[in-house]
Amino acid sequence: MTRNRTALLFLLPALLVLVAVVAWPFAYNIGLSFTNLGLYTIKDGASFVGLRQYARIFREPELWNYLLRTVVWTAVNVFFHVTIGVTLALLLNKPYRGRGIYRALLILPWALPQYIAALSWRGMFNYRYGAVNLLLGKLGVPAVPWFGNEVAAFLAPTITNIWLGFPFMMVVALGGLQSIPQELYEAAELDGAGRWWRLRTITLPLLRPVLLPAVILGTIWTFNNLNVIWLVTNQGEPGDKTHILVTYVYKAAFNYYRYGYAAAFSVLIFFILMGLTWVSYRRSQRPTWA
Amino acid sequence: MTRPGGFPQRNPAALLAAAAVAGLVLCAVACAPRPDAATRLSLWEQMDPAQQAVLARQLTEFERLHPGVTVETNHFETDKLRTQFQTAGLAGAGPDLVYGPSDQVGPFSIMGLILPLEGLVDPDTLKLFVEAARPGLSGHVYALADQVGNHLTLVYNKALVHEPATDTDLWLRQAKELTRDLDGDGRIDRYGIVMNLTEPFWLVPWLGGFGGWVMDEQGRPTLDTPAQTQALEFMRSIAQSGVIPPNCDYPLMDTLFKQGAAAYAVNGPWSWQSYRDAGIDVGLAVLPRISQSGLYPTPMTAALGYSMSVHVPPARRALVLELLTFLTSARKVAEVSRSLGALPSRIDVAAWPDIAGNAMLHTSWEQLRRGRPMPIVPEMRVIWDVMRTAYQQVLGGAMSPQQAPAWMQAQAVRKIEELRL
Amino acid sequence: MSLRALRWHVLSVVLCLVTVYPVMQIFTISLRPSDTLYTTSLDPIPRGATFAAYRVMLLQRPFLLWMRNSLLVALATALLGVSLASTAAYALSRFRLPGKGAWLFAVLMTQMFPATMLLLPLYLLMRKVGLVNTLGGVVLAYTATALPFCIWTMKGYYDTIPRSLEEAALIDGMNELQAFRRVTLPLSAPALVITALFSFMAGWAEFIVARVLIVSRDIYTLPLGLESLASTFQTEWANYAAGSLLVAVPVVVLFLLLSRFLVGGLTLGGVKG
Repeated sequence: MTRNRTALLFLLPALLVLVAVVAWPFAYNIGLSFTNLGLYTIKDGASFVGLRQYARIFREPELWNYLLRTVVWTAVNVFFHVTIGVTLALLLNKPYRGRGIYRALLILPWALPQYIAALSWRGMFNYRYGAVNLLLGKLGVPAVPWFGNEVAAFLAPTITNIWLGFPFMMVVALGGLQSIPQELYEAAELDGAGRWWRLRTITLPLLRPVLLPAVILGTIWTFNNLNVIWLVTNQGEPGDKTHILVTYVYKAAFNYYRYGYAAAFSVLIFFILMGLTWVSYRRSQRPTWA
Repeated sequence: MTRPGGFPQRNPAALLAAAAVAGLVLCAVACAPRPDAATRLSLWEQMDPAQQAVLARQLTEFERLHPGVTVETNHFETDKLRTQFQTAGLAGAGPDLVYGPSDQVGPFSIMGLILPLEGLVDPDTLKLFVEAARPGLSGHVYALADQVGNHLTLVYNKALVHEPATDTDLWLRQAKELTRDLDGDGRIDRYGIVMNLTEPFWLVPWLGGFGGWVMDEQGRPTLDTPAQTQALEFMRSIAQSGVIPPNCDYPLMDTLFKQGAAAYAVNGPWSWQSYRDAGIDVGLAVLPRISQSGLYPTPMTAALGYSMSVHVPPARRALVLELLTFLTSARKVAEVSRSLGALPSRIDVAAWPDIAGNAMLHTSWEQLRRGRPMPIVPEMRVIWDVMRTAYQQVLGGAMSPQQAPAWMQAQAVRKIEELRL
Repeated sequence: MSLRALRWHVLSVVLCLVTVYPVMQIFTISLRPSDTLYTTSLDPIPRGATFAAYRVMLLQRPFLLWMRNSLLVALATALLGVSLASTAAYALSRFRLPGKGAWLFAVLMTQMFPATMLLLPLYLLMRKVGLVNTLGGVVLAYTATALPFCIWTMKGYYDTIPRSLEEAALIDGMNELQAFRRVTLPLSAPALVITALFSFMAGWAEFIVARVLIVSRDIYTLPLGLESLASTFQTEWANYAAGSLLVAVPVVVLFLLLSRFLVGGLTLGGVKG
């Protein structure tokens, strides 16, 4: 079966890298989740405690809030990333002068280091001096206390993350648009089809195969995005009310030294993501994936 | 079929193969093993830029005195220093020395990551350090400090304030007068006071000033006290009186004071020089006595010092110890004190004429005297987190100063229990 | 200029303004003489504006060293990412492998675990194989991070290329590898660009893994170098902002260079069917 051997040869290098780097840390964490490794057990060694850490997770009062917030965070972000990204890609795909400059400018949010971009946005959300409220004021909208209440404090990192994330979708969509044969558009125009029809029937369906990986992975990355919320809300302002699952894990591990608990929590997050992805993957199955 | 985009007629596969090879070569180049000199010492620190400059000078001198030895420093932001040291220490690696605030000593020592120093440093030398400068637990000393302080003090702009207030009623009256809309656009341009309304470190002085504290001698939290309610009410009333910008956090406090748009600030020794560098005529004073209680506010005091990692190989221990004692020697401590305006950690240095006679250090010392040491046990972190949440919620109006103490105490007790699980 | 083109221009300008405004803020921070993060005015050019921060970053800090290290890491990641992903994705697109769906999903699964808890075992692992504190270890970690997206994207793109093209080549006497090289790859240029750009970015601006794996200052990458300017209360904000903008420049340049292959303008010769 030389065909299968060839296939494996093609596949092997990538798989080796992935297994080497990810498999062991993964197994380590699973093992860790069954222990009570924490502040007082590090020195003399932790002991096996079975499923106790997992039991404790389900007794965490805020668990469902964190989960809900994570889901909302992910859904809103991915929706806007895709919408804005695809729209811009369609815009930039048309030939008109100067679009090279626009493309270069629109990729800046992706090109800048996340740390200072997030802090800069945090400054822009400042109640008295931030650019956002000053702009709102010019439009006649009263100033929003961005970090004073739970909802606004959730919107702030969301807006920031949308800004940070749309260039990536834009680039992927631009690439995807190139895979659509021009003849299809030409034939449709000859038949008298309008722009919207072309968009709905030709462009969007044919964009799917290329866009799908970006959307699925974008969802996974957004779900597990620690930095943006941590930096923009300064560790969960106001009062820990903007935590999502991963920020809570970070706190448990590094502020409270509860390594066993954090490992179990991470395993749980993994299974939640796996479940969500599996469901949407099955629903998106098309002949081309077989 | 024509498709837009694509390579011109060149062999892309050759490019791909070349790419793979190039990638591997680069990798190999980058993988070159580092020479592990037996005489290369490493130090991790979280110092402000001013102190980093002083440290660089000190290390140059050390290297001169010990030919063949190099000291490499890595700088981290304080919280990242703690998490990095934790990670590295758990993996059996990390620096030889770590410099940071005394409260990191608690978790590090319990996790078994740093060495007790009382058996390694000469006892007569140890006695020269003030007690706060040799933080420890269970009778062991785990760090030696080169400065003490870290205490919040009343900072004022001499161009706006001629006589700093000595009690809070006067202070708030002054602040109200100084809070003005200077250009008539309906928004306040100058604030009487700027203070960090997001970190409980700024709440604690008032808690002590009303007679309360964060924990007792055994390390148990004591957050549910009338003093706590009073402190929160006090902070809330200041925040609502309009003399402080709403949601004022650290960068905002810093910005406004540096621009001369604030009359008073409450900030610690790390910031004073940067205010002077920004052109403000800075004055220091003791935090004003609380009119309601008659007591002085008690900011938390800490020390900044060096600890030795448990993973230092025995062959290198003597040299690392020498570096530690060098950096905490009288001359070096004095240098830090003079360059940074920090309080010296050694009583012999404190007696030196130029240090004893420094007016600013004197005010700083007066404030330190009225402060209380920050507990270094790991439980303190839980208390900080719990207090931070309550502080922000009370100032945001989501919790009342009457409900908050009981809530804080319950949360703290529960989370401290979880630390042991 | 036609009305149509004018419309696109106006729309593009508006969108660019919204996108670029926060970047302008960062630029303003870099010009301010005192290190202040927040503004109290909307002036893009602050009082006493100076380019001193850029001078300091380029001349007084090892910025060029950091850039050299980052370029090394990012280019290596890009090259490895493109070569490994394009071949693996080809196998997953064209061959009937047992459990192919499972392979694809398994590749995806490597991204699902929260990175926070992977850091410590990653560090232990790298220590064991002697790759800790080397740029090579970092490249390996970044490649593993970038591969899932690259493999899936390349496969998705390959799926839009009809298999009949390669079959025609096979009938003509080429083997699989040759068909891949001569037929498939040239048609996949846009996807290769995305893969290259993404892998480059995975290695260029990443901070958390680099922070854990790299200790020696002479191999600091750009994010680590910038971080060394940050202190709890007294960050050198002007330098930090200047450095951040300088960090963004090579990415924009790379994107401009590669976008030729990403967007139309070049039609393929010889492949009509």
